[in-house]
Amino acid sequence: MSHHDSKSASPMQVATGDRAILPEGARTIPIYVMGKRYEVPETLTIMKAMEYAGFKFLRGAGCRGGICGACPTVYRKEGDYKLYFGLACQTVVEPNMYLAQIPFYPANRAKYDIEAISPVAETVHALYPELFRCVACNNCTKACPMGVEVLDYISAIKQGDLARAAHLSFDCIQCGMCASRCMGELPQYHVAQLVRRIYGKYIQPRAAHLEKRVVEIESGKYDAMLDALQKMSHEELEKLYKEREREPDMAPPGTWMPEDTQYL
Amino acid sequence: MKISYYPGCTLKTKARNLEDAAVASMAALGVDFQELERWNCCGAVHSLADDDLIHHVAPVRDLVRAMDQGSDKVVTLCSMCYNTLARANLLMRQDEVKRKTINDFMSEEKDYHGEVEVLHFLNFLRDHVGFDKVRERVKVPLNGLKVATYYGCTLVRPGNVAIEPPADRKLMAEFLEAIWASPVDFADATTCCGSYQVLANPDAALDVAARILESATRAGAEAVVLSCPLCEYSLARKQDELLQKNKISKDVPVFYFTQLLAAALGLGSEACRFDLSPRCSVELLKSKNYPIDAAVVGV
Amino acid sequence: MGYTPEMLELIKRVEATRPARVEMARRGENFPALSLEERAVVLEAFHPDYQKEGRRPVKVGPDKGLVLPDEIATMLESRSMIRPDKVDLSHVDFDTDVLIVGAGGGGTSAALLASEAGVKVLMVTKLRHGDANTMMAEGGIQGATQECDSPFYHYLDTIGGGHFTNQPDLVAALSHDAPQSIAWLESLGMMFNKLPDGRLQVRHFGGSSRKRMHSAGDMTGAEIMRVLRDEARNRSDRITTLEFCPAVELILDEEGKCAGAILYNMETREFFIARAKAVVIATGGNGRLHIKGFATTNHYGATMDGVVMSYRAGVGTTCLPSTQYHPTGVAYPEQNVGLLITEKVRGLGAHVLNIDGEQFCFPLEPRDVESAELIKEAVEKKKAVITPTGRVGLWLDSPMIDLLHGEGTVRKELPAKFIQFARHGIDISKHPMLVYPTLHYQNGGIAINANCETVIPGLYSAGECTGGVHGENRLMGNSLQDVITFGRRAGVSAAAYVKKGVELKKLTLDHVAKYEKELKDAGIENPMIAPVLLPDYSTDEVAARRKMEAMQESE
Ligand SMILES: Cc1cc2nc3c(=O)[nH]c(=O)nc-3n(C[C@H](O)[C@H](O)[C@H](O)COP(=O)(O)OP(=O)(O)OC[C@H]3O[C@@H](n4cnc5c(N)ncnc54)[C@H](O)[C@@H]3O)c2cc1C
Ligand code: FES
Repeated sequence: MSHHDSKSASPMQVATGDRAILPEGARTIPIYVMGKRYEVPETLTIMKAMEYAGFKFLRGAGCRGGICGACPTVYRKEGDYKLYFGLACQTVVEPNMYLAQIPFYPANRAKYDIEAISPVAETVHALYPELFRCVACNNCTKACPMGVEVLDYISAIKQGDLARAAHLSFDCIQCGMCASRCMGELPQYHVAQLVRRIYGKYIQPRAAHLEKRVVEIESGKYDAMLDALQKMSHEELEKLYKEREREPDMAPPGTWMPEDTQYL
Repeated sequence: MKISYYPGCTLKTKARNLEDAAVASMAALGVDFQELERWNCCGAVHSLADDDLIHHVAPVRDLVRAMDQGSDKVVTLCSMCYNTLARANLLMRQDEVKRKTINDFMSEEKDYHGEVEVLHFLNFLRDHVGFDKVRERVKVPLNGLKVATYYGCTLVRPGNVAIEPPADRKLMAEFLEAIWASPVDFADATTCCGSYQVLANPDAALDVAARILESATRAGAEAVVLSCPLCEYSLARKQDELLQKNKISKDVPVFYFTQLLAAALGLGSEACRFDLSPRCSVELLKSKNYPIDAAVVGV
Repeated sequence: MGYTPEMLELIKRVEATRPARVEMARRGENFPALSLEERAVVLEAFHPDYQKEGRRPVKVGPDKGLVLPDEIATMLESRSMIRPDKVDLSHVDFDTDVLIVGAGGGGTSAALLASEAGVKVLMVTKLRHGDANTMMAEGGIQGATQECDSPFYHYLDTIGGGHFTNQPDLVAALSHDAPQSIAWLESLGMMFNKLPDGRLQVRHFGGSSRKRMHSAGDMTGAEIMRVLRDEARNRSDRITTLEFCPAVELILDEEGKCAGAILYNMETREFFIARAKAVVIATGGNGRLHIKGFATTNHYGATMDGVVMSYRAGVGTTCLPSTQYHPTGVAYPEQNVGLLITEKVRGLGAHVLNIDGEQFCFPLEPRDVESAELIKEAVEKKKAVITPTGRVGLWLDSPMIDLLHGEGTVRKELPAKFIQFARHGIDISKHPMLVYPTLHYQNGGIAINANCETVIPGLYSAGECTGGVHGENRLMGNSLQDVITFGRRAGVSAAAYVKKGVELKKLTLDHVAKYEKELKDAGIENPMIAPVLLPDYSTDEVAARRKMEAMQESE
């Protein structure tokens, strides 16, 4: 189980893919995965350290890049009462850390019809009455591996400020750690998702130029142009390609027009 | 001195008329009245039993936020928020053992020992703005408006957080005088509005609301002022049902005290928010022919 | 933890050359860019796509003879994990109208549109719903939404960027639908970056004539994926989603129509027969095959399953030999290896340097050329830095950015990267980053037409697993648009096909048996078993011990 003699590779051998190999003299440290001790190279993430130790993930690994929320991990350090939370794919192993992954945490989710709901805070309150069970203990915020101010967005929702809640919760990757620690048994991340969609659909102003463009497309305005392009030879296309005017970098969106407007 | 304003959730949803009027009035009076940057529920929706420490975490966190922001005072409008914050503050000042427990639990925040003072808006008006200043700035004196001063429970109970000695009540009266209205004290001024009973015992809640309203009218009041969304729910929003069930004989205009302040300061409809108050309240003001802009009373 | 003392020592060499390099940049001078001929030479010698070594003709299947990277050819010359003669196809576990394989952006869009057309949808996916490349896209999504732009220019930019190798009907479909796709996302409640009046914020990108890149913070793909997933969950009465339940083989009927798939519950290791009148393959990319040992930006399940399954059933590919390498993937710290470092860093003036702190290439060559130059410096010149975990890397001198544009520019212009490195104790405004090319995108794949149809009736495909939309080179922001546009089209086409009335005949796996015979005839002994589903990252030591155990059990 442990590899005290770290002789896996000569110094010029090169690691491939996501598999880590140890250069001469690399140090290893002990970690405890669900109570069992493994010696792993320092500097690895929890995810790669566990793979190094021989685990093959089924649950608990997704993007491997800190954005999908598949790998939340809870750990303690030796002699420290505190609970720590991190993403296994982003958190570096420390000597004597005791860890367990929590790849799934059940949470109540309310179904709704985004087309039919009324875009006000009361809608959210009615779908998630448990919001008012929040005692502001802040364990959600402490558990968030993305540093989202969970309590603050929950408070904003109770206060009816959906725009603020949408922005405060934007970095949420829906790993569920907030819900796992909640005294009031709230499903914070589902509530936040609902709020962001209400914000995106109803509160943020709609893009008028987009609506207009969609109408133009549906009316068939560009069909002939696209047909012609598809029939063009490589040379004809290359000529047009080279002749393109480039929108100036510094022109704010919607302010510049090209000289040639026949294809707009 | 730096003062922060703590609104409370209800004021941001169901009681906008309480808040909008106050915020606009402060601007009109030239008072710097900044909302706390970060705040959560005051904790009023949690049980008020004080042996259950977790329920103090919410209000204490709000006080820590105020402290973090460098404020030494935090002002509330809602009586319930005032009560919850003030009681938690008292606990943090007085009970060393519980203070330590709560501070230890909230180890991610700075330790708190009651550094911030919790003020109700009425105290704030009297002590930091000054009723004289208010009186000077009044543009629409509410002459002859007879208003019952309803305190309910949370402004005056328990005694150690009361905004003034309950037996010697005069804050609301002084406030009304400052806007040239006529205060009417009445027997049920500190009777609980019954909102604690709405779910468990709805009929009892209606009865007590009816008693308060009748008692106010009997004392000669034309309207009632209050400072709590729960009281407003019981005394104003329940009036249709009270009338229907013949528990009161006629509807009674009800205002948040901040709405009358805003009206007296001559502020517009976005400040007074009479659109969110019972119809009869608006009628009353109209009938008085005060030089209030017609738009303000929603014509 | 930051850089090791040894690495900090090496950084001193970078710092030593920096003042002169900054002066040079201030004078507007650059390391000379390559001529077209020189480019061809370095590409030929070092770009993985151009090298003879590591590539060979595939020996079987519809594209027999096509020269592919070894890893891809081997994957296509694989055999099924199921034994076709042992499967009882008369026992159907799931019966549905449309089966969608892969719940990333493409699959989920297809599921939503098919369900809107009123058919029953079963969506199966390998990991969790949304554990997908779509989730990882940071930069943005293209679409000609602004007045100065039009589908015409979107078409031109795309086909020019793809060196005119793209499939024209697909490019036309992409540029035609793009604004509609964006409007659809807006109507679902996606939080786009907008100006206060609602106008969509747009930016330029490599190869654009108009600002056409729309984004949602620096997590555009995640925002798209979250919203689509949430909507699919709202429609759980019409869309059944099975997680950790990949498809491992397609099922046809006696007439050669696609008729479903065999599913594999990875947790219980059970197989299920899913019968479907139409199947949509949307299984995403192949980064996790680690072609030539390269690290990748892709998610854990990007193993080319869809191409493997449909190839076996007789569907050929388009542009499959071409792979996109991003020149600057993270090489250190280990926890970020393979992750993307946006082109913007070089755009802001950062130089690429070798172990001695010397420049060796123009930093803004086209992506494929830039990648080849880095590989050359590491492999041929052996001038790369070796990390504590045995990786090679070259310096990307980010501190130059603050020197050139003023203190605080790095923080302001690259907030996500700044935080990502700061988490691991590296301040990229003070210390350079270590980078190496990383496998980014599967340019080619399953051959489809603009309705997402394959040559097999009832089999549709959309997204990164398909080929032709981007030709041999994909422009940034076109693949998110690809998955929405073609995901939606696949959903519509599949539903329409089902609604016309599909009568499935007896189910069969004959194509699998036939393919195995072809393997045998081609002399392929011990073909690998694919789809591989997940990569294996255990060390050689662990793998060796596992084998020993197995031998003891069986012998
Ligand atoms: C780091 C990164 C950044 C990017 N940035 C951008 C960008 O800024 N702009 C842009 O346009 N594009 C970008 N791309 C590319 C783009 O995100 C992808 O090409 C696109 O999202 C692919 O979508 P998809 O639906 O085809 O595949 P995916 O989103 O990968 O979804 C495929 C799904 O199928 C599942 N699956 C695989 N095999 C099976 C099986 N056998 N059975 C069932 N399910 C299976 C997978 O697990 C996955 O969930 C980026 C990609 C990466 C990796
Ligand atoms: S694997 Fe996606 S966040 Fe870690």
